[in-house]
Amino acid sequence: MSRYTLLFILNIPFIIISLIKLVTEYKLNKVSNRYFIVKVMFWITIMLGLMFIEPIYIWLYNQKLTISEPLSLFDVVQITAIVIVLYISDRTRSKLETTDRKLRDLHQELSIILSNKKQN
Amino acid sequence: MSKLNYKICIIIPAYNESTVISEVIKTITKELKKTNYFFRIVVVNDSSKDNTSEIAQKNGAIVINHILNAGAGSATATGLSYAQKHNFDIAATMDADGQHLPKNVVEGINEIIKRNDDLLIGSRMINSKGMSKTKVIGNKGLSFITYILFGINSTDSQSGLRIFSKRALENLRWETSGYEFCSEMLWRAKQQKLKISEYPIKAVYTKYSKSKGQNNWNAVNIISSLLKRRLLEILK
Repeated sequence: MSRYTLLFILNIPFIIISLIKLVTEYKLNKVSNRYFIVKVMFWITIMLGLMFIEPIYIWLYNQKLTISEPLSLFDVVQITAIVIVLYISDRTRSKLETTDRKLRDLHQELSIILSNKKQN
Repeated sequence: MSKLNYKICIIIPAYNESTVISEVIKTITKELKKTNYFFRIVVVNDSSKDNTSEIAQKNGAIVINHILNAGAGSATATGLSYAQKHNFDIAATMDADGQHLPKNVVEGINEIIKRNDDLLIGSRMINSKGMSKTKVIGNKGLSFITYILFGINSTDSQSGLRIFSKRALENLRWETSGYEFCSEMLWRAKQQKLKISEYPIKAVYTKYSKSKGQNNWNAVNIISSLLKRRLLEILK
């Protein structure tokens, strides 16, 4: 199996999972149209990059924009790791934002309720 | 609506202000008693380490104690949420360090009723006499950044003296919890299509208020936080 195909096979599950989650969030009205479009474009760009990595690499090589050796197994692992990190960091950021907002609202509500109780 | 029918809530976010909070509450109470408004003073104690809370309570203010130190933006949000929940018609925020003149607060309340605006900002920059040059540069710089990032033309985007209509109380929410909330609040008000305007105020700078005010270096944190907020908004 070509290393380019291996790279694609290793990474495509993360992209598909991200896209399915995005569509689910969109269908459940949890995200705005703009958020949905930007995120879909982001993951589709990565998917297209992986699908056409061989012609892209050959083109870059012919244009003398890269002087590196052809894709090694290590490169495959490295690029897969980058995609995984992108996926994890994106999920973590959005979860952190939600938690932060919930904590702030909870703190605010609790402070007001406690002060009301104290007054009564 | 007659003046008697307006319920006014004065919100004072405070952090370690035990030396001046008593005077601030006394003077604003005295000034508001001259009017016919029904009013309440609410001090949001942002988890102070001193006895700000006890002193404020002794002076007749309603005190909301934050369990954690959450920042000026959060304390202001708590105060406004209290005003909204208790059905106040107008809320005014003022600094706890004594830099705002009580008569300017009352002027702002009268003005928002007269103009029928939603958010009225007390601008120290329309007449910046008495303000140090570094503060003038800092405030003008942050107002410029607010204009660049959010397209809001305000002469004093960082002013703590703000008057809110009932509509603003019901619709205005923001994400940031530090001093950057001043600019973000204007942005959110614009997004909510609230009517924003300004009126001139005079700020009193004592040795104490100078020591308590924002450091110009804090502008770096404010700008980076606003930039982050603006970029994240593109994704939302």
